[in-house]
Amino acid sequence: MNEDEKFFAWLDGELDPAAAAEMEAKVAADPALTRLAEQHRFLGAQLKGAFDPIVEAPVPEQLRTAVRPPAQVIDLVAARRVRSMPALAQWAAMAATLAVGVFVGTQVPRGGTAPVQVQGGKLYAAAALDQALDTELASTPTGDVRIGITYRDSAGEICRTFVAPAGSGVACNARGRWEMKGLFAAPEGQGGDYRMAAGMDPNLAALVDSTIAGEPLDATAEKAARDKGWR
Amino acid sequence: MDHSSPFEDQLASLLPRLRRFAHALSRDAADADDLTQATVERALRSKAQWEPGTKLDSWCYRIMRNLWIDTARARSRKNAREAPEEEGLSVGEDPRPGIEAAVDLQRVMAAMSQLPDEQREVVALILVEGFGYREVSEMLGLPIGTVSSRLVRGRTALLAMVGEQ
Repeated sequence: MNEDEKFFAWLDGELDPAAAAEMEAKVAADPALTRLAEQHRFLGAQLKGAFDPIVEAPVPEQLRTAVRPPAQVIDLVAARRVRSMPALAQWAAMAATLAVGVFVGTQVPRGGTAPVQVQGGKLYAAAALDQALDTELASTPTGDVRIGITYRDSAGEICRTFVAPAGSGVACNARGRWEMKGLFAAPEGQGGDYRMAAGMDPNLAALVDSTIAGEPLDATAEKAARDKGWR
Repeated sequence: MDHSSPFEDQLASLLPRLRRFAHALSRDAADADDLTQATVERALRSKAQWEPGTKLDSWCYRIMRNLWIDTARARSRKNAREAPEEEGLSVGEDPRPGIEAAVDLQRVMAAMSQLPDEQREVVALILVEGFGYREVSEMLGLPIGTVSSRLVRGRTALLAMVGEQ
């Protein structure tokens, strides 16, 4: 390592303590080196300042979905796609898309307990899920469905995230009904112990991030919103 | 289905940093996102080769750098010959006169874009991304002395271009 390289290695904290002390003394004794050190520290800060906005900028949707291929999301487009199919085929398609049997598949036939239903090309919460979205507060989980956060989306509707044994999702209240905006299957192997799963499904978190207006409601606002019928 | 395994989670959380490095390499916002996307796709395909417990970030940076050498470097050299880039790249900074800080950043970015590739990648990895010399030498497959001397040349040239403060 020549003296130039040693100087910069010192600046970057790459020298061992003895060599660093030696270089520090040398720089301190030489005004030109002291000035050079200052200039390079400033240059380093400018470089960081020039590139850091990229880290702080939102990651384009295209890149986020590259990490997680979007086949796991049911959205309106998917719902419209299945609208024209016979009812049973719809459920089969949905179960396949979700890749969870338990969430819909096994609960569908005639029992009236399926947590989602299709109507007019849209997906709505039903049965226990609908009830939980209507009545449950995040602080007081009761049944199998646990409410996560409640917020207003950019259209002004109240939306609530939920976790059920086989998956999680978000639904928004449109004229008194909970319209599903996204459903995500639980990671394999976590279906049974969903309460243990840490944090929100990243796909769900991304969906919430892209639709939320402002901050989630706090417990008081959540209760107030419930008392006003989620309007 | 395995869409939220630690691998994908970590990869997702690396995206902002990978984009930053891609910008430093490619000097163009659109190319940078293409490069980031190609890196993500390669990383997902090569997932089995990543040893859990080792640093995923170095691994991904290496993939990105190699991909960039494979594909974009030839093209950007060609572009550089045909139309030398004067402006550097914009990252949403407003370069209007009077916003002095933004002008400074623009100037640094422009200077960075004029560095030779092999100096720019070392400057980006160490001074922007914050990796240590040894880590970068392993990442790039270069002797540590080469990393160190490229870094000296790169930052000395940058300082000369940006102008002494």
